[in-house]
Amino acid sequence: MKKLNTTLLTFLLVGLGLMLSAPTAQAQSTNGVFPAAGSPANPKVHATWNHYNNYQGITDLTKKMVKAYPNLIQRQSIGKSYEGRDMWLLTISNFKEGDADRKPAMYIDGNIHSNEIQGTEVALYTAWYLTEMFGENEFITELLNEKTFYIVPTINPDARENFFEAPNNANSPRSGMKPLDDDMDGEVNEDKYDDLNGDGSITFMRRKNPRGGFRENAKYPELMERVGPDEFGDYELLGYEGLDNDGDGRINEDGEGYYDPNRDWGWNWQPDYIQRGAHKYPFSLPENRAVKDFVMAHPNIAAAQSYHNSGGMILRGPGAKEDRDTYNRTDIRVYDALGKKGERLIPGYRYLVVYDDLYTVFGGELDWFYGNRGVFTFSNELFSSFEMFNDKDRKREDSYEFDKYLLFNDALVKWEPYNHPQYGEIEIGGTKKNYGRAHPGFLLEQVAHRNMAFTIYHAYNTPHLVIDEISEKDLGGGLKEVTAVVTNTRMIPTHASQDLKLHITRPNYISIKNATVEAGMIVNNRDMNQTTEQKYQPEKLAVNNIPGMDSVTVRWIISKGNHYTITVDSQKGGVVSKKK
Amino acid sequence: MKTAVFRLACLVTMGIFWGFSPLKAQSSYPNFDALTTRLHQLEANYKNLTQLKSLGKTATEKEIWALTIGSGDTKNHPAIAVIGGVKGSHIFGSELALSFAEKLLATSSSDSIRQLLSTTTFYVLPRINPDATEQYFASLKYERDVNTTSTNDDNDDAFEEDGPEDLNGDHLITMIRVKDETGKWMPMPDDARVMKEADVSKGEKGMYLVFTEGRDNDGDGQLNEDGPGGVNINKNFTFKYPNFERGAGLNTASEPETRAVLDFLYEGAPNVYTVVSFGPENNLSTPVKFNRGAVSKRVISGWYEDDVAINSLVSDTYNDALSMKNAPKAPCQPGDLFQWAYFHYGRFSFSTPGWWVPEVLDENGKPMKFENDEAHFFTWADQQNMDAFVNWQKIDHPDFPDKTVEVGGIKPFMRFNPPYEMVDSLSQKNTDFLIKLASMKPEIKLANFETKEVGKNLTRITIDIHNAGTFPTASKLGERNDWMKPMVVRVKLSKNLNMVSGKVIETIDRIEGDGTVHKTWLLRGKGSYSLSVGTPNTGISTIEHTIR
Repeated sequence: MKKLNTTLLTFLLVGLGLMLSAPTAQAQSTNGVFPAAGSPANPKVHATWNHYNNYQGITDLTKKMVKAYPNLIQRQSIGKSYEGRDMWLLTISNFKEGDADRKPAMYIDGNIHSNEIQGTEVALYTAWYLTEMFGENEFITELLNEKTFYIVPTINPDARENFFEAPNNANSPRSGMKPLDDDMDGEVNEDKYDDLNGDGSITFMRRKNPRGGFRENAKYPELMERVGPDEFGDYELLGYEGLDNDGDGRINEDGEGYYDPNRDWGWNWQPDYIQRGAHKYPFSLPENRAVKDFVMAHPNIAAAQSYHNSGGMILRGPGAKEDRDTYNRTDIRVYDALGKKGERLIPGYRYLVVYDDLYTVFGGELDWFYGNRGVFTFSNELFSSFEMFNDKDRKREDSYEFDKYLLFNDALVKWEPYNHPQYGEIEIGGTKKNYGRAHPGFLLEQVAHRNMAFTIYHAYNTPHLVIDEISEKDLGGGLKEVTAVVTNTRMIPTHASQDLKLHITRPNYISIKNATVEAGMIVNNRDMNQTTEQKYQPEKLAVNNIPGMDSVTVRWIISKGNHYTITVDSQKGGVVSKKK
Repeated sequence: MKTAVFRLACLVTMGIFWGFSPLKAQSSYPNFDALTTRLHQLEANYKNLTQLKSLGKTATEKEIWALTIGSGDTKNHPAIAVIGGVKGSHIFGSELALSFAEKLLATSSSDSIRQLLSTTTFYVLPRINPDATEQYFASLKYERDVNTTSTNDDNDDAFEEDGPEDLNGDHLITMIRVKDETGKWMPMPDDARVMKEADVSKGEKGMYLVFTEGRDNDGDGQLNEDGPGGVNINKNFTFKYPNFERGAGLNTASEPETRAVLDFLYEGAPNVYTVVSFGPENNLSTPVKFNRGAVSKRVISGWYEDDVAINSLVSDTYNDALSMKNAPKAPCQPGDLFQWAYFHYGRFSFSTPGWWVPEVLDENGKPMKFENDEAHFFTWADQQNMDAFVNWQKIDHPDFPDKTVEVGGIKPFMRFNPPYEMVDSLSQKNTDFLIKLASMKPEIKLANFETKEVGKNLTRITIDIHNAGTFPTASKLGERNDWMKPMVVRVKLSKNLNMVSGKVIETIDRIEGDGTVHKTWLLRGKGSYSLSVGTPNTGISTIEHTIR
């Protein structure tokens, strides 16, 4: 009796709950909100895109997404960071349609440089947007039916936390948190920055000096300007806030880190004396190793994107001129098409080549993705001064003017006096750590959306294979010729030229089942009947590449079989079958 | 009956006794278990001089052993890393490293060796690719340089699906030759055991196809193209890593064996100043040559001139110790340990196979010349009465149904590994060399320490930091490399002393052999202070003094 009561009660409560919640949801969408074009009007997961998420924030938000959309998003830890944090990876796809790990996939990460924080938010926004818009928007729905996104919001979670929690400037720590002896004096991290004024940011130190070389800008006193070569100023600059903690006559010379996680990847890697920031050997940092192991185990990744800041750039490799020949013409054509579209989608951003337009990077992430995996990869440098006034003319005063009129002085610390043990009476002030490289809050959602749109365009253009035609010709004598045409309807080939050159991934296999195959061949020119026969295992033809926006034709001579299946099995292009 | 039982018990007891005796002569190359036993014996017999640790494990759970030899503060004494078995099939290299440890420790009670071990550390890593080496002891023997990581060598959709097979039942993988007029191969006229490529410019015509012994297991038209394993550790290091070359792995430093060695040397052994590898490369018989062009590129690929000079000196020492001439040319392998140790680790790096097929003299006592190395080997092996050849034997081969197919050829391992009877004297010579090399180590001494009162309450301290060794404190390349630690000069003052001029902490990147750096400080006040100079790979010297 008691038991029955409980069951009945549960039933009633659940029923009531459903009745109550359904009209509430409807009421919200009609009464409170009118949809803006292209955005989720009434998201299941409430997220705000004008702040940054710390590790707990990332963990909570992604957990909510998984709870809300179990058929669209999964979360896994791909390993632990140096300090033991789980490295969260999100897999996003329509799990009800096909095996996510066999669909052509886009890999996205952010925050490899710990101070370059907003890549994480762009990555999270992408996950949120895709899951919220699936079923609402036809294009996104189709995209998640066809493709998979693997997203690691931060691949440097330890030092991201340090950036937020510890005193830093906009450029620190950049490294991860494994302590190293930067000044080689036998002691580790013994002379970090010191937050002398206790405001959580490492700003600048200046000292009044009638023989100094700097003076304040007339409009914006936080901006220090070098005087002319024939004059003296009022101040000398003493660098970032800090003390000589170890008494070696230098300030801040051995802080967190230091190594550069983006010099730790296994393509054209060079040691520290050639490439500053390299660690012991490629993937000697646990965070990168976790990513590498995941990527090696997921050969369906056909495109990749990493997010950095700043400068407003869409970068591709090579990172070093020694590696110029790695990128050949066919692939560069695809890169150019994607990059130019990116310039259009993200106003003010320029599509550039790292070694040529920027500086040399050995052992960078994007070079490994392309060089070692044959994956078309971009690295976006988020935030440019263009975004302040949408003006290509850039002046040093811009960020101070922007701070004054759009951020209402929130980004700067006014000069305040301080009595420094080594320098004596000085002043401390300048830019807070969340300004200069990270996006101000109100610009964050826009930049997240635009960059996401670029990665969606990229993901959309991973190979999409279609069996366009299966035709038969009777050859007489019990033999039949079966010709199949397979088209890749997107720009990215199943095998980058790098892949073809080095045999990175196996060929595509186009096979025929339920037919007795006497011979099999690749048709090089159908009109002229030029073919290359595959003598061994002719029922399973190895096709080295199915180029973007192009087709391959294969042919079998069969002696038996009227109802057969042709299957294209491509690591980066997925699996498609057609029955005859 | 009773007597028999007693005798048996005696034998067993003696066996155990022998098993743990360091003096027990070995009779054959050790498999992994035997190697491990010998290492444990050393650790047990020389408790105060050795420490055995595992740097990691292979895929088959075999340890990468490192035996530390030395006394006192071994972490802060200049060290030589002695590494063997970098090429899996070169079991002799592994034996050399191990027997170096045994021979060194056997003489450790002598004054000179006791003194050496109190100022020098040896890290002996006798077998860094044990899974590959174990093939020497397997029932099917073939020269294997790859570990047991499963790889897809032919880039199809199967792993390890077409390895070699023993077709004639001799438990050796040799060759098969297939009579075929389109084949490029022919028996060498001077020695029919050797198959050579026909030289049409000499009027020769090929008549054989040649393959390693085996079948086309997966029906793809290729023989033995994707066998067991694996990755060759000597292709997996980071210098000039040969991306996607067969046996190199999918990424540099991808293998547990490689990373065990790298992590240990980078972080566990900063005191190493020299790496000696018993492997295929050889810059001990003939030193590397200076190449200005290779040094001046930003990605350096040649040794600095000063380092070449040290190599020459060490090479002379080696040739004196070994008295073996005419070493064959031993080209470097991209991704090898030897080049990594110099170019990326920043240490002096020396390598030798430790043995090669000696010269063969004709009736007049003159060195004979041979068309190729295999012919040279067979002639030498004949003189030694070695059974080094498997006679060609006809077999039926399913992949060549209508052809004459024969199995035979040179036996594996013999060309690069001497008969075990030769090991003892060879390893003694290599040990003597290593002891001489250790005597050349950098050695920091604080000379001409002076204090002088210079006015009221002021004291000037001067000192000469002198490298009493032959080696510089760092190689020229190491001077640039952050993994080669500079010497730290540190002054610690008691509270009544102040530094008026001079630095409390500074670093010195390099002092050449027999070189000196002068330092001076000006102190104010009275009290004690200490002055320490050095870095783990030079040793650290300290002076304590009080100004009264």
